[in-house]
Amino acid sequence: MACPFCGLRPLEEFLFRKTVPNVVTGSGNGAAAGTDVTDSASAYAQVYLRVDSAERSVEEWQHVAGCRAWLLVDRNPSTGVVRSVALLGGTQ
Amino acid sequence: MVPGVRYGTRLQDGVVRFTFDGRTYEGRQGDTAASALLANGVVWFGRSVKSRRLRGVMTAGPEEPCALLTVGEYPNVVPNVPATECVLHDGMVLRSQNRWPSLEFDFASLLQWGGGLFTAGFYYKTFFLPGWRAFEPLIRRLAGLGMAPGPAAADSAANRPPLEEHVTCDLLVVGAGPAGLAAARVAARNGLQVVVVEREPAIGGETEFEESVIDSQAAHHWLKAAIASAAARIRQGSRNPRRVPRPEPGSVRVLLQTTAVAIASDSVVAYRERNEPTNFRIHARQVLNAVGAQEQPLVFVGNDLPGVQMLGGAERFAALYGWVPKEPVVLFGNHDRLYASALRLRGQGARVVAIVDTRPFNANSDHLRDEAGADEWRRAACSLLQAVGVECLTGSTVRVACGGRRLRSVEVVAIAGTADTREIRCGSLLMSGGWLPRRALPVGTIVGAAAGCLDLAAAVASGHAGGVAVLQQTGLLAAVAEISATPLATGDPSPRVEPYLRSPCATHEEKRQYLDLQNDVTVADLRVAIAEGFTHIEHAKRYTTLGIGTDQGRWGGHVGAAILADLQGLPSATASTSKDRPPLASVSLQAIAGWRVGDSFRLVRRTPLHDWHVAHGGNPEPMGLWFRPRFYAANGKDAASAAMVEAGRVRQIGGIADCSTLGKLEIAGPDAAAFLDEVYLSRPSTLAVGRSRYAVQLREDGIVLDDGLVLRLAEDRFLATTSSGHGLHVLSHLEHHRAHRASLRVSVADVTDCWAVIAVAGRASADALRTLLGRDPQELSPMAFWDWSGPLQGVGVAGQGGQRLRVLRAGFSGELSFELHCSPALALPLWEALQVGGLEPYGLDALDILRVEKGYLTTSEITGQVTPLDLGMEAMVAKAGPSLGLKLLQRPAFHEPQRPRLVGLRAVDGRSSFLAGAQLTVGPKDRVPMGYVTSSVFSAQLGETVALAFAARDVAPLGARLCARDPLRGRDVQVRVVAPVHFDPAGERLRGRY
Repeated sequence: MACPFCGLRPLEEFLFRKTVPNVVTGSGNGAAAGTDVTDSASAYAQVYLRVDSAERSVEEWQHVAGCRAWLLVDRNPSTGVVRSVALLGGTQ
Repeated sequence: MVPGVRYGTRLQDGVVRFTFDGRTYEGRQGDTAASALLANGVVWFGRSVKSRRLRGVMTAGPEEPCALLTVGEYPNVVPNVPATECVLHDGMVLRSQNRWPSLEFDFASLLQWGGGLFTAGFYYKTFFLPGWRAFEPLIRRLAGLGMAPGPAAADSAANRPPLEEHVTCDLLVVGAGPAGLAAARVAARNGLQVVVVEREPAIGGETEFEESVIDSQAAHHWLKAAIASAAARIRQGSRNPRRVPRPEPGSVRVLLQTTAVAIASDSVVAYRERNEPTNFRIHARQVLNAVGAQEQPLVFVGNDLPGVQMLGGAERFAALYGWVPKEPVVLFGNHDRLYASALRLRGQGARVVAIVDTRPFNANSDHLRDEAGADEWRRAACSLLQAVGVECLTGSTVRVACGGRRLRSVEVVAIAGTADTREIRCGSLLMSGGWLPRRALPVGTIVGAAAGCLDLAAAVASGHAGGVAVLQQTGLLAAVAEISATPLATGDPSPRVEPYLRSPCATHEEKRQYLDLQNDVTVADLRVAIAEGFTHIEHAKRYTTLGIGTDQGRWGGHVGAAILADLQGLPSATASTSKDRPPLASVSLQAIAGWRVGDSFRLVRRTPLHDWHVAHGGNPEPMGLWFRPRFYAANGKDAASAAMVEAGRVRQIGGIADCSTLGKLEIAGPDAAAFLDEVYLSRPSTLAVGRSRYAVQLREDGIVLDDGLVLRLAEDRFLATTSSGHGLHVLSHLEHHRAHRASLRVSVADVTDCWAVIAVAGRASADALRTLLGRDPQELSPMAFWDWSGPLQGVGVAGQGGQRLRVLRAGFSGELSFELHCSPALALPLWEALQVGGLEPYGLDALDILRVEKGYLTTSEITGQVTPLDLGMEAMVAKAGPSLGLKLLQRPAFHEPQRPRLVGLRAVDGRSSFLAGAQLTVGPKDRVPMGYVTSSVFSAQLGETVALAFAARDVAPLGARLCARDPLRGRDVQVRVVAPVHFDPAGERLRGRY
C-alpha cells in the first residue's frame, strides 16, 4: 500500500481499523467522515452503521509499523485494488 | 557401456550406502531413494493407508503418492518423504510406512480379506455405537502416516531456523524448463534482471530426457547458453565502466532446488531445503509462471499394482538415473508420445513388448481429424516398432492389470467391436493419460506447458512471447535493437492427446479402479458418494478422502473429478475440480515458521531492571511484549507463598516494585488540554501544573478502553500513563482522534521507553525517600509530583547529564506510596539505594493481592466489555467534558437493572476460597449465571479470600447472598456482596495515617 509519507510499503506494516460509515458515494474526505464527539445524532451511525459495497469501501488504516499516520483508504474489496490513499483528516 | 553399471545424467561417481527397513543397499552419488532401490530390484516401497495394499513407485517427482518413506532415526525423523524426492547420502536410514510388523507381511492387511471393507464413509457408518471414542485408540494405531519426530535436540538442524533472503528483480520466472528459460533469455538479453526458480537440481525440464533441438543446437546446450549469454553481458559491462553499456546489463540468476511455495502480499516465497535451508522472498515487477504440466494417470482395474508406473516417471528414471525395468514392458496411453518413448526406452535397454493406444486409426474424432497427416506419422512409427518386435495395439485399452503382490500380466481389450481379450505377460506397465497444467501456484502470466503448449516448439515460442510481452510492458522493447527471433525448436511431436476416462469393467471391479493411491479411493467410492448425495467434487473429496493425502490428489484428483461427473451423466470436460493448493512439493513446518520461533517469535521488551530481576530470582513472566517479575524466589518456595510474604511486608513495612512497563504518552501543544478532555472522562484541563488525576478513557461505543494517571507537566504538556499491555493501543487511539481533530494544535508521543517507574509503597517509604532526597516526600499532597533536580543520597545528582527524576505521590497498593519516574540509567542505582533504605522488592503477584484488597482495577476488570457505569464511576461520568464515547454510553442497554456491576465478594463462612472465573448465581440450583468473579486473592490482612466480581445490580445489592459456582475446578461457595474496597475503606493509609 502506498503511504503518502513513506511510499509503497508491505501490507504487514498497516493496520485496519474500520470501514468508514456512509461515505460510499461521498468524496472520501476524512474530515467529513470523522468522529465529531459533540454530534449526538450521528454517534450511533458513526460507530455502527455502514453500507457494505462489493465495489467500494472507504476504510481507516494506520501505518503502525511506519510513520504512524492515519490513512483513509479507498479500495475495491472484490479485487483488492486500492483506488486512493489519503491522510485521515486532511493534514496531520 | 559396462554391464551392470548405470549411466544417468544425475548420477555421479561415488557410492552411497543406506539402509531401507534394516537392510543395507548401495546407490550412486546423486541417486534418489527411489532410483537406487529400483536399481537394487526393490519392488515394494510401502503400503497404502487404508486398505494396506502393497505399493511401488508410481511417479518420479513430488507428486508421488505411494513410495513414502520415514527418513532418519528417532527422534530426528522426517515422515512421508517421497522416495522420488529423497536424494541419498551416505548412512541414510529409510523405513517404509503403514506396515506392521513388516512390509512383506502386514497384520492389518489381513483385515481386508473381508473384501471391500473400507468403502467411503466406513468409519462413520460402522463405529458410531457406543461411540467413536471407544474405537478411536485402535483405529488411530492402525491409521496415520509414518512416525512423528520426537523433541529435537536444541542444536539439531531441525531447530535451526532457515535463512531468509530478500531478492528483488524485474522478472521472476517460476520453472526452468524450455519455456521459462526462453523467457528469461530474451528478457535478460534486453536488460532485465531475471530470477529463475527451479525445483529440480538441474535446468531443462523435459529436455533432460527428450532428444530435442533449439536453434540447431541440442536443447540443453541452448538452454545453458541462454543463461550464460546474459551473464557474459554483465561481465562485459562491469569491466569497461567508461563504455556506457546500452541497454543496462541484464542478468539471470537461477535458484536450483528451490520451490515457489506461496504468494505473499508483495512477493513470491520460495524455499530451498538443500545445503543451507533458505526462505527466499522474491519481489519481482513481473512474474512468468512456467511450472509445466502434470502427467495424468489412466484408470483401469488394478492400476495400483506394484509394477504399474507413470510413463514420464519411467523416462526420468531411465535418462537421469539409468534405471529401466528388467521385465517385459507394456506402454499404455492415449497420445503420440508413447511411440517416441518406446524408442527411447528400448535404446536404454528396456524390453518393450507392446504399446496399447486407446486411439484407433482414422478415428472420426474431431480432435484428431484437424491435423492432416498426423495419423501417417503414427502408422510409420507403428511399423517401425513392429519391425523390432513391439506390438502396437491401437483402439485398445488395458482392462485389468493382473497379479497378486506385483504386476504379472495385463488384459487388453479392443475398445470398440469384438470382445476379444488378449493377455500380455509383462512386469512393467507404463501409463500416460495426457497432461494437465499445474495450477497450484496462481501467480503471474502462464506460459509453456502450464498454458497447454505440450510440444517443445510451442512451449519455447510461448515462453519467448511471454518474455517479449514483459519487455513491452516495462517499456524496454522499443529502446532495444537486439530482439532475437523466436527460437526454432523441434522435439517430440505434438502428443495429440485424445481424452480417455477409464477402461470398461463390471461394477464389482470398480473397487479396484484406483483414483487416490494414498487413501485407496476408487471409482466404487465415488459411486457411494453420489448415492449419499455428495455430488459436487468438493463434497465428494471430503467424503471419500480423494486427494486429501500428502500428494494432495496431484496424481488422480483431476481424473477423479472427471469420473465423478461422468458417473452422473455430465460431460466430464465441464467437470469442476477441487481447488489446487500450493505448495507443489511438501514443505517442512520449519520453513513455514521461518525464524519466527522461540525467542524470535515476537519482539521482547525488557525493563531497565530486567537483569537485576533475573539475577535475584525474579521469575520474569511475559505480559504483552514485556517481561515482569512475578515473585522473588527468596520469599517463598512457590508463587503463592512468596506473594503472600511480599504483600504482607508491604502492608507492615513497605516495598518497591518495578512498574516500568506502564505505558507513558506525552501530549503537548497549545490545545493539549482541550484534546485530553475529549479522550479522558476526568477533565484533565482542570488539573493544576504539578498535579495528576486518575483518568479513564472510553472507546467511541462507550466501553472503557483503559485507565491510568494524567500528569500536568506544564500548561501545554501532559503525561498520561496507560496499563502495561495497552500502551500501543492507547497511542493508536489518541493518534486516531488527533487525526480527526486536525484543527487542534497537539502532538502525541510515546515516551514509554524514556522513563523507568519504581513504585515505593508502605509506611517506610517516606523515610526511605527522605533519606534519598533530603526532603520529606509527604510535603507532596496526594496526586502531586515534583520534577526533582538535586542531589540523591548515594546515587548522584538528578537533573544533570540528562538524568531526570520525577517523584509522584500515587500508588496502586493502598499504602502511603510514591512513584519514581526516572531516566532508565537511574533506575538501577535508585532501586539499590531504596533497598539500602530497608525496602524489599515485591512482584506482580503481590501487587495483585494488594490491588484486589483495595478494589483497584486491571485488565481483569477492564475487559473491553464494561462501561464506566459498570465500574461505579457515575461521578466521573457526570463531571466529564465533551468526551469520546459519552453519547453511546446513554444507550438504554447500559442502564438496564440486570447489567452486571463491579462488586466485592467474600465467602459467607469467612473461610472458603473461590477462584476467578467462577460463575455467580442467585440460588444454588439456578442454571443461568448473572455474573462472574474477575479476581480473587487470599488476603492475609483480612484472613480470608476477597474477590472482585461483576454481578447483576438488580439481584446483587450490598449484603446479598450469591452462589459462586466452579464445577470444574472447585466447589460451589456461598458468597456475600460487599463493597469493592475490602481493605482500609476510609483510605487512612493512603494519607499516611498509620
